[in-house]
Amino acid sequence: MKVAPDGTSVVTEGITWSISPYDEYAIELALEHKDTAADTVVSVISVGGPRTKDALRQALAMGCDDATLVTGDGADALGPLGIANALKSAVDDLKPDLVLCGKQASDDDQGFVGPALAEALGWPHVAVVTKFAPSASGTEIWKEVEGGHEVWKASGPAVLTVQKSAKDPRYPSLPGIMKAKKKEIPERPVAGVDDPVRIEIVKLEPPPGRGGGKIFKDGDTKAHAAELAKLLRDEAKVL
Amino acid sequence: MIPPTQGFGVAVLALVAVLGFGAFAYRAWKLYRYLRLGWNEDRTQQLGKRLKDELVIYLLQRKLLKRPYYVRGLAHAFIFWGFIVITLGTTDLLLSGLVGLRMPGAESALFVWAVDIFAALVLAAIILALARRLFFKPPRMHIALDGYIILGLIATLMVSLLIFENAGLAAGYLAIHQATPPLAQLVPLAWGGAAGTVFAAAWWVHVVTVLGFAAYLPQSKHLHIVTTLPNVFFRSQRPRGALRFVDKIEEQETFGAATLRDLSWKQHLDGYTCTECGRCSDNCPALATGKPLDPQKIVLDLRDLLLKEGDLLLKDGAATGTPPAHQLASKPEELWACTTCAACVEQCPVTIEHIDKIVDMRRYLVMQEAAAPPEAQRAMTNIERAGNPWGEAASTRGDWAQGLGVPTLAEKPDAEYLYFVGCAASFDRRNQRVAQALAKILQAAGTSFAILATEETCNGDPARRMGNEYLWQLQAQQNIDTFGRYTVRKIIASCPHCFNTIANEYPQLGGRYEVVHALQLVQDLIADRRITLGAGPVESVAYHDPCYLGRHNGIYEDPRAVLDAIDGVRRMEIEPHHRERGFCCGAGGGRMWMEEKVGQRVNHRRVEQILAAGDAKGERPAKVASGCPFCLIMLDEGVGAKGIQEELKPVDVLELVAARLQSEGVMRSNSSSA
Repeated sequence: MKVAPDGTSVVTEGITWSISPYDEYAIELALEHKDTAADTVVSVISVGGPRTKDALRQALAMGCDDATLVTGDGADALGPLGIANALKSAVDDLKPDLVLCGKQASDDDQGFVGPALAEALGWPHVAVVTKFAPSASGTEIWKEVEGGHEVWKASGPAVLTVQKSAKDPRYPSLPGIMKAKKKEIPERPVAGVDDPVRIEIVKLEPPPGRGGGKIFKDGDTKAHAAELAKLLRDEAKVL
Repeated sequence: MIPPTQGFGVAVLALVAVLGFGAFAYRAWKLYRYLRLGWNEDRTQQLGKRLKDELVIYLLQRKLLKRPYYVRGLAHAFIFWGFIVITLGTTDLLLSGLVGLRMPGAESALFVWAVDIFAALVLAAIILALARRLFFKPPRMHIALDGYIILGLIATLMVSLLIFENAGLAAGYLAIHQATPPLAQLVPLAWGGAAGTVFAAAWWVHVVTVLGFAAYLPQSKHLHIVTTLPNVFFRSQRPRGALRFVDKIEEQETFGAATLRDLSWKQHLDGYTCTECGRCSDNCPALATGKPLDPQKIVLDLRDLLLKEGDLLLKDGAATGTPPAHQLASKPEELWACTTCAACVEQCPVTIEHIDKIVDMRRYLVMQEAAAPPEAQRAMTNIERAGNPWGEAASTRGDWAQGLGVPTLAEKPDAEYLYFVGCAASFDRRNQRVAQALAKILQAAGTSFAILATEETCNGDPARRMGNEYLWQLQAQQNIDTFGRYTVRKIIASCPHCFNTIANEYPQLGGRYEVVHALQLVQDLIADRRITLGAGPVESVAYHDPCYLGRHNGIYEDPRAVLDAIDGVRRMEIEPHHRERGFCCGAGGGRMWMEEKVGQRVNHRRVEQILAAGDAKGERPAKVASGCPFCLIMLDEGVGAKGIQEELKPVDVLELVAARLQSEGVMRSNSSSA
């Protein structure tokens, strides 16, 4: 990663763009449900510029049924609330039973869009989800907590933001890739979407370089231990 | 001799012949129809090479006479040569018995002697083979009743032949012009008045056994007597290191061997031809370390599935039958255990193509079912996204060369050679030192070269061997396009996997270059005195043959010649696992990125073999040198796991060369002071 000369963005040249890992886990969770209930329809929606279509094709190749891209001038520049509002209009039309998002993006790590979408829809939201299953009274949702999990229940539609789970997102089959290549990806205009909060990056700085470390070579283990304790206390000041 | 088939006998013989050959033909036709269920792969190109194979591999039995099977191989060769001669004799017997005709030359001394002597030699070989089965059973050998039946039939044939010759002589049945069989008359002709009866009885036993043999043959593993001839003829003439190309992959509907119809007819012929000798299994590193893979079993499972489901598939053109990949007893784990080291292919006396079958079934699992082990999927995703299987940042690919004065092709587009560094030497810290060593050597030799740095991407070999032909084609095409932009003609690779796929597989996509492995080039540089090596410490160095340098590409001598040219290095061989019997490090076939949880780790076994190596004076190797980054990583891990870093140091041959390099500067100052 390199900070661009403007000091507020990173150099994107040479980067291979891909679906954010938590979003991949969300797709995997949805597809696992489809594996057990074949009549499930998994739709995938994203907001962004033309490049975003590649990510949607990847999701189609993994096994999603259809994809929608909310796009147009300014789609890449939307803030998290704007993205949530853009998604809301698509979700309103699709009327799904459940919306799954990654718990955060892997670039800005804000973790904002999922909860904001729930708010915009007026739906409940459960975070750090690793599993869900339909139950008699709606949906059972596993939420990761320190050292275990809680089981939540949703009686109607809900937004789940998904955590990394035990099963890696699936690798697409070649027939899946070929089918995805041929699928139409309808576009919705981003124009007119309300984007009330703008975030401005003031400055980006690379983290300081790491020191070289020290290797004790001479002397025996006992001397090394004494030296290590001394350095941890006097130099690193952690003891 | 005059056949005892006057009158009524001819009719009996004709009936037996019709029954024997009829049974053979019926079964053979059925097997042929099963075989044609396979897709129609063209195996008729390069006729000259095919005829040469028939001479060397079939007639001269070249692949039977291999380390460590010389004695057994020779015994087989005598049975085989004997069979050819005796089949001619049998044809003569049947002709004369049925229609009273003799084959041309059948009465000549040469022919009579040959039949007689080979009958005795075959009998001796059969006794050896029986004794081996009964008393010195090799552990790999799968002993079944079938083997005894066949040995019994052959022994009956030979004994009856010698008896009827002997009794025929005593009875004076020798035709007027016929030469006397030399061995048959060694035993006294003591049949007296019964000689004629004994002759007739032995003659009938012989002829009926021949026809029984013909009927039994296609039911048994000894079908190889018939199928080896075509199996050798139609063997793959691709370079051994090249997997089969899938043309127009984006237009295919199914990928890999989903059904028996997706294996080619030749792969089914392989199954018919397997003699169950077990040499492939004997040499398989996966089997040797307790993995579920047994290459012989793969071949036989496919054959058995074909015999079981052949009728069903013939009857119903739409039927798919059991997917072969799921037919194997322990399922896909067998397929994933293969390192594609080609020890099986190297050893198979009848040129069966094990790797192609395994990769075809992997192609089905990966491309059709998307069912690769998770670590393999991760490696493939990494290749797609970062251009290397470890998922290291693509932008750092050229970082190993920083400050070394190594130009990129963008900076030096007229460089004679492209050094294709490969992922391991670009990103793995240990192997970066090998790339740096090669750069130093090339600079000292004044070789004009450049690298691609961030413009290079994974050559695709791991993906292809894991079964992801599509990803290989994407990666290969990307590199070929880049090479094209710079009109690259000559390529150096320090990684045998890069070397193999660029040299042997890129031509499938139209990328043709002059490719050398670094050690081949360095050997030339030494021979041409382009580099001079100075004195170094005396050290014993074992050479470990990388599979994709040795078995796949036949490069055994160059790396050894380089080692021999290094002052102080005493080269050692890892007996008996060296050269064509070299034992894999465990990383080939994409196994580098997969976990190895079952049995002993292959690289740990290899380290044990190296530790057991040594010369007659009891000297042991202090270093083990290789020419492959994966081997280096695996040997390092093995040595580390055993905690013997002080006793055995894995290195690349290039590092040994670079360490003794007398730099150009030194040479120049030497010459100016002279």
